[in-house]
Amino acid sequence: MVKMSLDPVQVKELNVSPSPNGDSRASWEEEEVEEEEEDRLGIATKTKPPKPENAVTVAVSSRVLFRTELEQRVFEQKGVEEYLRYQIEHENEPFAPGPAFPFVKALETVNARLRELYPQSEELFDIVLVTYNHAHVGIRLINTINHHNLFIERFCMTGGSSPIGYLKAWQTNLYLSADADKVREALAEGIAAATMFMTEKLTEVSESQLRVAFDGDAVLFSDESERIFKAHGLDKFFQHEQDNEDTLLDHGPLKGFLEALGKLQKKFYAKGQRLDCPIRTYLVTARSAASSGIRALKTLRAWGLEIDEALFLAGAPKGPMLEKIRPHIYFDDQMFHVEGAAEMGTVAAHVPYGVAQKHNQPQKPGARK
Amino acid sequence: MEMVSTVQNTDVKQSLQKVNERLLEKNPAESLLFDVVLIATDSQQQSSRIISSTSHYGLEVGRFCFSSREDLVETLVVNNVQLFLSTDRDEALQVSQKGVLSALLGRQEAPSESLRVMLCGDAIVRPDCDPVPASRGAAQSFSARLGEMRGRFGVSGSPLSIVLVTSSGGSKSCGVALQTLRSRGLSVDEAYCLAGAPRGPILSLLRPHFLLGDGVIDLED
Repeated sequence: MVKMSLDPVQVKELNVSPSPNGDSRASWEEEEVEEEEEDRLGIATKTKPPKPENAVTVAVSSRVLFRTELEQRVFEQKGVEEYLRYQIEHENEPFAPGPAFPFVKALETVNARLRELYPQSEELFDIVLVTYNHAHVGIRLINTINHHNLFIERFCMTGGSSPIGYLKAWQTNLYLSADADKVREALAEGIAAATMFMTEKLTEVSESQLRVAFDGDAVLFSDESERIFKAHGLDKFFQHEQDNEDTLLDHGPLKGFLEALGKLQKKFYAKGQRLDCPIRTYLVTARSAASSGIRALKTLRAWGLEIDEALFLAGAPKGPMLEKIRPHIYFDDQMFHVEGAAEMGTVAAHVPYGVAQKHNQPQKPGARK
Repeated sequence: MEMVSTVQNTDVKQSLQKVNERLLEKNPAESLLFDVVLIATDSQQQSSRIISSTSHYGLEVGRFCFSSREDLVETLVVNNVQLFLSTDRDEALQVSQKGVLSALLGRQEAPSESLRVMLCGDAIVRPDCDPVPASRGAAQSFSARLGEMRGRFGVSGSPLSIVLVTSSGGSKSCGVALQTLRSRGLSVDEAYCLAGAPRGPILSLLRPHFLLGDGVIDLED
């Protein structure tokens, strides 16, 4: 387990004991004393979160950061009052990690490396918990955050009202939620968002390198090509892509997030850490390298976006390839692929965007571009 | 009986009234209610205008009080006012320094479903940093009464919403604030931990009717 380095920046010779992010918190008193000490001595023994406009803000809901299925059932079967009573009763029992947990941990690993190289910079990931849970659950959530040594200092518990406004207020770059409606709302507001699901099988992922994989059409790019494919079939699709090879594809909902990742990657390259970069990005597309893939690559290049690995599957199933890459998260607009990935242990997030949403049935494998 | 004194702002009064109505619905013999006292510190000529416009809006104002600026604090104390609301920042600050809890009224653009009371958690967590220590005791007892009132309603559909905001501390601080308020009998509905992020964008979404516990700060901040 890579421990996040939170050694204080020693400005004067003082007897300051660093606050390692290692011990699990038990009592509230401990925390208060620590923070008072911080004030008295005037030195930050903890790192401060960056300003939203400088950071890459990732907002996660409590249901994807942690496992809350049991509590969900209580809510569905017994109503909100009983649900809250249950939560308060179990306040000191931390939740188990959910599907977004490894991704968030990987973001923190990247932050640690960025802080090492650029101690004054605010260009970091900022993770905000945005939940429409009631504040009664707040203490249990905070206890859980402490228990898992997560560096999440910001949150919104909206007590039932829509969190979308808050996403904009936080200048959110990516929103992850278990609720597809909220995700669709966010997408409609121009915020990159995806729905996450809990899977039983989870392959191990890297603890030192953040890996993010993207589908191409209707994720990084618009769904225009998918429309042609769905309306006119494979041949027409190929023809269209060939005819338009030199026309850029329009952008899709996750393009901005890839861009944000690219900016952080460049900070590592600037310090000679290209080979050792703790961020790696992948394009995993059903397009084929020889033909329809060219337009995708040209578009990325024209956008000035570097993607580390582009995998053109020419219609082959994505699961096995993803299993080899082991991304912390994989974005796809089609549930068929999300489910396929999950079956093989990859955490996949559904981007409910574009024409594919009208076709909910799983597609026949092989009959793809 | 809760006592609240207001000047202007009909939405606050309507929301306060709605809380009273719902409390009485549940228990016609309820004694823990908001009692609204309208205090006008302008000249006597305003008095008839204020009275007629109040009845025009159908607002049940319990009492009218006309006081000069100099006697304001005394008037408040004599009337056992537990919370003074004003749109005048200096006036509110002056009053709170004399030990009467006061708060600035928020700007309401649209009528709201419930009375939204915002508490600033920073002063709760670090009482030594409280900019107006004189009214700290008043703040604590008011929040206990508020908690009692909030407890009369269920989780959803309450005419009263309690919103906690912490501006500077991290999530642990906010947790301490939640625990502290709970120990005083006040359960919070919504919680926002800003950890140094600018308040403006969040505050404009929260649209509180008034903000407590921050000394007196500008809600437009």
